[in-house]
Amino acid sequence: MAEKLPASLEKLNTEEYLLNMGPQHPSTHGVLRIILKLDGEVIKDVVPVMGYIHRGMEKMFENRKYDQIIPFTDRTDYLSAVNNNFAYVIGVEKLLGVVVPERAEYLRVILAELNRIMSHLLWLSAYGMDVGAFTPLLYIFREREEIIAMFELITGNRLTHNAFRLGGFKYDVPKTFFEKLEKFISHFADNLDEYETLLINNVIFKSRTVGVGVITKALALSYGVSGPSLRGSDIKMDVRRDTPYSAYSKFVFEIPTGKNGDTWDRCEVRMNEMRQSLSILQQAMQGFPQGDIMAKIPKIIKPPAGEVYTAVEGPRGEVGFYIISDGTEKPYRVKMRVPSFSNLSALKDMTVGFKIADVVAIMGSLDLVIPEIDR
Amino acid sequence: MTPVEILEKIKTKFPGVASTEAFGILNMETEQNKLRPLLVFLRDELNFDFMNFMTGVDRPTENIIEVVYQLFSFTTKASIVIRVKLDRTKPEIETVSDIYRTAEWHEREAAEMFGIVFLNHPDPRILLLPENFKGQPLKKDFRHPNMTPLPEVK
Amino acid sequence: MTAFMQFLKDLLYDSGKAFGLIYDGGHKIWAGFNLPPLTLDIIFLLIAAACAAAFIAINALFIIWFERKISARMQLRRGPNRVGIFGIFQTVADTIKLLIKEDITPKAVDKLAFFLGPLLVMTSTFMVFLVMPFGKGLIAADLNIGVIYILAVTGLTVLGLLCAGWGSNNKYSLIGGMRSAAQIVSYEIPNVLVMLTIVLLSGSMKLGDIIAAQPTVGYVWMQPVAFIIFLIASNAEINRGPFDLPEAESELVSGFITEYSGMKFAFFFLAEYTNLFIAGALGAVLFLGGWTGPVLPPFMWFMIKSYFVVFLLMWIRWTFPRIRVDHLMEFAWKVLIPIALLNLVVTAFVIKFH
Repeated sequence: MAEKLPASLEKLNTEEYLLNMGPQHPSTHGVLRIILKLDGEVIKDVVPVMGYIHRGMEKMFENRKYDQIIPFTDRTDYLSAVNNNFAYVIGVEKLLGVVVPERAEYLRVILAELNRIMSHLLWLSAYGMDVGAFTPLLYIFREREEIIAMFELITGNRLTHNAFRLGGFKYDVPKTFFEKLEKFISHFADNLDEYETLLINNVIFKSRTVGVGVITKALALSYGVSGPSLRGSDIKMDVRRDTPYSAYSKFVFEIPTGKNGDTWDRCEVRMNEMRQSLSILQQAMQGFPQGDIMAKIPKIIKPPAGEVYTAVEGPRGEVGFYIISDGTEKPYRVKMRVPSFSNLSALKDMTVGFKIADVVAIMGSLDLVIPEIDR
Repeated sequence: MTPVEILEKIKTKFPGVASTEAFGILNMETEQNKLRPLLVFLRDELNFDFMNFMTGVDRPTENIIEVVYQLFSFTTKASIVIRVKLDRTKPEIETVSDIYRTAEWHEREAAEMFGIVFLNHPDPRILLLPENFKGQPLKKDFRHPNMTPLPEVK
Repeated sequence: MTAFMQFLKDLLYDSGKAFGLIYDGGHKIWAGFNLPPLTLDIIFLLIAAACAAAFIAINALFIIWFERKISARMQLRRGPNRVGIFGIFQTVADTIKLLIKEDITPKAVDKLAFFLGPLLVMTSTFMVFLVMPFGKGLIAADLNIGVIYILAVTGLTVLGLLCAGWGSNNKYSLIGGMRSAAQIVSYEIPNVLVMLTIVLLSGSMKLGDIIAAQPTVGYVWMQPVAFIIFLIASNAEINRGPFDLPEAESELVSGFITEYSGMKFAFFFLAEYTNLFIAGALGAVLFLGGWTGPVLPPFMWFMIKSYFVVFLLMWIRWTFPRIRVDHLMEFAWKVLIPIALLNLVVTAFVIKFH
């Protein structure tokens, strides 16, 4: 993109300047600050500054009992609360050696996939805003609202669901849930096609995203980029497939990948992922087993001393919990591996040489959630 | 690759590394000066091309700070944990941010949270904490005037 | 009585004649009082200017309401529906809010440029109405260089935007101002070429003559390409989506209006929507036959046609994502200008050999 100036213009006195994007900026999606070094409109350097909402989550984890930590995980990445619960809960269950009943596993998968669709839908609407299309947002929120209503039915909450318990669920599924789910599944595929024509395949949208923010396979892996952002670079890496957790080994699904690793590929991967999630939902709904919803777990949770790292495939990438237990009621140390953190670290290599408008497009395509980065 | 196979391959090059196995993942310990060669070996020979995370663990009773690296191999789907024990009074270790780029930010975080000094780090600024923050919050003996202990529920 | 009815009918259908009657009658009375005629001319001028200002303000209010309603319908919303019937007084309420808001002037701004920005933008849009043919004879001055006048006056807007961008002493504003300057200057060229085509067809630069020369269906059927280019170029010239780069919300916060508040902000807002109307009105005059049309009074036809074009522009705005700045320039110089030029040449040949 950065074209070389002809020799006659080399002597022209130009000056690079700094532009502060954020902490309050419409398209940093949260309190993220990005210092851009610009030459006209061309980006020369990108320095992300974060920590504006650092709450010391990991320190707080150390001072809570194991079951008290679950609500905190909701609040790191508020858009994929269920998947964060998931990663933490299966970690503690592994330490405890608890086997979760199949019905609970299926319900967990259903909720996690619904959550993935919900998060991707919000990303799609926000991304439309980033590239200047306001209208898709209001269409997409129809479907998102349906999913939120389903979550409300099961957990009572609309955003930070606090859905999981150690060992399963507190309450069984309400009957109306599956009616709603069936209705949602029946029309969602058509809606996705509609959004694909409305936004993803729009000529202007393509001209803004194809070839922008390319990240190579090797660099993406080295940066620890995960999730759709990594799969956009044609790497078929998915925790659900690589190290299957919960009931995921029972479902058949594809892992969509992009070709060039550019912004458009990342968008397309997310769109296809929603379709795959839909198919998982269908399978899970058909094979939904009877039985208990909660495993027998001790009243006082004291996992034996040891350590475990469990990860799940969140909407943004690999969400992992590294839990060290010392045999007491509280964990000795909990480290959260958050996808946005690693994804954002690759921003510089994606953006240098592109234009201000591209920074917005690239950042949007990484689907960052800032509270998750700061923790 | 099973943990045993990985361990055998590593032992050919680095004899005498201590290791355990937990939940099907190889958990090995190494020394400061062997860390970088080991990581390069793992990345280039055994295809551990993805670093999930890198962090510190404070253990004041043993007067050490552990540095933990979790690696994942995209090709063989195997995971490995590598830990290095550092002296708690003077925790210093070479950076690995040139081997795994993602380590750059993780090391910055570990540096401010545990006070670990990463030698030759390309950008040793603070990452998440406020600029004038004193102390390393994730250390077990960290105290701050604003901290109130949680009431114990009986 | 019939004379009065005739006068009323003239007022609607042949405003020029009716205004002539008023003007002559006024002068007769004025002469009876032995007053110099120039003073009456000045009074008439002031009244006309006040009418124009009132029209601009009310029209802008209506267009803002219209856009909010239209966009709401396109987005599965209801839009304003609380203040007045169908929320029609919502914009009035908003304006009152803007008027009584504190007019903040940040410390670091270049005061003169900061103040001049909204003023220049507003003035240049206001001046276009001098040659706007609202109806038969309902035109302040049918200049024989009408088209050139419009182009020259709307070109002044750039100055205002640059003033605002530079004077705000804010990098977002500066980038916004620079973008708008580049954009408006580039898109003026295809616009000029398109208007030249129309001038070639009608043989006059007088807007009245252009309307008179058009067949009943308007030039749009003879010049569909020109109409599309006109829509795109004027959309870009008035900085509206998908060409709203100067104030691209997700990139530049608000572009050159970032630092403005209260009345100055209202000026920009007013100018933006008045410009939208001007684009619609020009489309109506140049391509849709202006105020000509059956049954309804000419003024009504003019408004209907203008609002039709305005609606098209709104439709475009609420459908597409924003284009990128380099693509925008490439589109102007590599696509629009060659096509417009080709269209002009072909039209010239057809006129010459027919």
